[in-house]
Amino acid sequence: MPTESLKTNPLREGLNSRTLPDPCTLVIFGASGDLTHRKLIPALYNLAADGALPPAISVVGFARRDKTDEIFRAELEEATRKFSRQSLNDELWKSFASSVSYHRSAFDNFEGYQDLAHKLDELDAASGTRGNRLFYLAVSPDQFEVILENLSKSGLNKVREGSWARVIVEKPFGTDLPSARALNDLVQIAFDESQTYRIDHYLGKETAQNIMVLRFANSIFEGMWNSRYIDHVQITASEPLGVEGRAGYYDKSGALRDMVQNHLLQLLCLTAMEPPAGLDADSIRDEKVKVLRSLRPLTGDDVFKHVIRGQYGAGAINGKRVAAYRDELNVDPESTTETYVALEVNVDNWRWAGVPFFIRVGKRLPKSGTEIAIHFKSVPPVLFKATGESIDDNVLVIRIQPDEGISLRMSAKMPGSSLRIEPVKMDFHYGTSFGKATPEAYERLLLDAMSGDPTLFARRDEVDEAWKFIDAIHAAWATRSNDLAHYSSGTWGPGEADELITRHESTWRRL
Amino acid sequence: MNQLGDDCNSLSESFDPGVPVQIGKIEKELVRLWESSGDTKTRASLINFIVYTEDTSSLSADTEVISTVARKHACRAILIMSNPQAPVSEAQAWISAHCHLAGKGDQQICSEQITFRLDGDSAHALPNIVFSHLDSDLPLCLWWKADFPEPLDEKLCGWVDRLIFDSSTWKNPTQQFAIVHHLSSSDTPDRVLCDLDWTRLHSWRFALAGMFDHASAFPCLSRVESLHLKCAPGKRSTGLLLLGWLAYRLNWKPSISSDSFVTPDGSIIPFMIEAVPGANLSLVSIHCGEALFELELSESGEFFESRIHAPGTRDTRQVLPAGRGKIADTLLAELSRSGRHPLYTKTLELILPLLGKLVLPS
Repeated sequence: MPTESLKTNPLREGLNSRTLPDPCTLVIFGASGDLTHRKLIPALYNLAADGALPPAISVVGFARRDKTDEIFRAELEEATRKFSRQSLNDELWKSFASSVSYHRSAFDNFEGYQDLAHKLDELDAASGTRGNRLFYLAVSPDQFEVILENLSKSGLNKVREGSWARVIVEKPFGTDLPSARALNDLVQIAFDESQTYRIDHYLGKETAQNIMVLRFANSIFEGMWNSRYIDHVQITASEPLGVEGRAGYYDKSGALRDMVQNHLLQLLCLTAMEPPAGLDADSIRDEKVKVLRSLRPLTGDDVFKHVIRGQYGAGAINGKRVAAYRDELNVDPESTTETYVALEVNVDNWRWAGVPFFIRVGKRLPKSGTEIAIHFKSVPPVLFKATGESIDDNVLVIRIQPDEGISLRMSAKMPGSSLRIEPVKMDFHYGTSFGKATPEAYERLLLDAMSGDPTLFARRDEVDEAWKFIDAIHAAWATRSNDLAHYSSGTWGPGEADELITRHESTWRRL
Repeated sequence: MNQLGDDCNSLSESFDPGVPVQIGKIEKELVRLWESSGDTKTRASLINFIVYTEDTSSLSADTEVISTVARKHACRAILIMSNPQAPVSEAQAWISAHCHLAGKGDQQICSEQITFRLDGDSAHALPNIVFSHLDSDLPLCLWWKADFPEPLDEKLCGWVDRLIFDSSTWKNPTQQFAIVHHLSSSDTPDRVLCDLDWTRLHSWRFALAGMFDHASAFPCLSRVESLHLKCAPGKRSTGLLLLGWLAYRLNWKPSISSDSFVTPDGSIIPFMIEAVPGANLSLVSIHCGEALFELELSESGEFFESRIHAPGTRDTRQVLPAGRGKIADTLLAELSRSGRHPLYTKTLELILPLLGKLVLPS
């Protein structure tokens, strides 16, 4: 290439690695919180340890508590030692930590933002971060308004020519369609859509990203990925944990809003979408929105036929007694909030006509796991009928977490002179096959936001469409309260959910 | 190293070759080994990994490397220790397994190892040994831990999917690079050539590329005036590989003087490879007008310090991972990365004219 007219970095080609993001300053609102300590800082450290951060980067923690840079760094070091994917290397930590500082201010204190603006200018001059700013709102949504207003008032959302400013918004994106729209309007007073990154950490997981590769890079699957060959799809997210200190939020939210509206509908979109025109962010997100628009709305009595809500009672998890949801700290003793929900969803388009998607999510279930299971149709009951052997259907399972991987169940003849057919499983484990740990979702998503790639972030219309679907269910629920099913902690949810899928002559997968 | 009845978790003991077996009964003995292993051990194999060495004292070290590789890349490993100069012709074989716990349960994933010792004339049986003991339908990775002979066995080479070698250990780099160049230009499109010295340079190339990612930095690459590298004595070829990569990416050609490159507009870019005891490569300095881009390996070899000095902007300094230097780590990096190395082939073409002037290591 002619070196006198370089448009890109020629040294990057052939390295199988992405271009490093621009130098920038990341400002984390809610720097004292759990998310910062458990996820964000460990993710940033791992990026530093992989050499994936730009040569100049500053991280500023913004929070109310009084502490020095040193104390802040020491807290982060302790958290990173505990939660980081890679063990902490002192020299790398020291180098990374030197870019971290603390800015004390209440979220509603305008002066704090003016001081922040000065601080960022100083950091630009001292570190070479070139006026690029990424604001991470790691706070509850009720704090968004005051932070965004003050960012606007102090001019921090505006940048010099050649620089950029972006904002990352953590879920939940509202509690229903009107509040989501209000929240998006609020965000977009300060930042336009191209600057807004709505994070759904499920989309940052390797296996979620692999769904598209599995479908569109393997000819054996895509040809069968339709109603002709697929009987139904099960999407499961189960966890043994209870509300764990999130009762204040969770009791108002419930499983449908907390998990289905965002994570599980996103997984459904990736499973059901048509091939995008390209791999750019909008082509992919366009296809996902089409799936959401094709969801058959669940309204009125249909909700009670196709959606089961449940709440956990007392029981046992891992051999230990656990309390009922209503007995948890900060939970209304008469709460009707669902901690479990199972839905039968239909995607009314050509590809998926007649193929139900069964979604279930719950707390205090026996095992932790998130997966998508594609259940293929049975073979015609002809050839092996005389033998009396029952043949299990083929199931392709995409495990999102833990133990990310893919397995395929098929039938095989058992060795021996008689004809006995048994299911066998072909299993692919990410960790075993690729010999390296998969990066945490937040690593990928932070890097993408720094690089200005919104592919793995939810677009405004996706959020709106998902809320439309969810709101209709909530509207029906609001008309009754006697449909809340109960299940004991440590079991796989209420019997009513089993009946939901039994109507389709199937059963929930055993995880 | 374990026979399957042993405690398979501890891999730190000395590495013996395992159970002696007759060569004609290897497969049968392996089946018997697995059948006696119980339900908690699963044999896994994703590749055939063959190690060929002419150093008959390296059994323990090579087996340790295989054990490390097998933890991440389940394989059928075949270690071939060849001594063609031995006066007596003899072929011996042993079988063993490398097991490790998979996840949190008690299930162990095991890879099997077949070890051959080929003395005297038996060394010529190498292709047959390889062909008859492969796990079928799996890729064949051959790590050739010796200088390549001339001529190479075409049939053997034709079967290899990934030929691994380490140019930093060659006694005669000029001749060996010429053989590799011949291999790269022969018509076996599916075979991948992997020089472990090139693999080691990946972290250097990654870190150097990162220094020029920003829009204000990469234009400096069109203003490079000189280059300075520090290499260990006898490791000049490592420095040349890095320079060859830079030259290819920046469209430079080697000049007749052998210590400089020529840019498309005819400018001369001199380079100096300074011999300094220590790591194979310890410093790369790129002078671009008044700007200086430096990447230096720490004494521990674990980190780089990147330093950018450019007029009008603040100097930046960053600590970056340099990867680990153990041979098993380099092999793992190579096997994990997979894919071809098109840049290596292009780099090789560029440095061949410079290699002729190499001072051979003592």
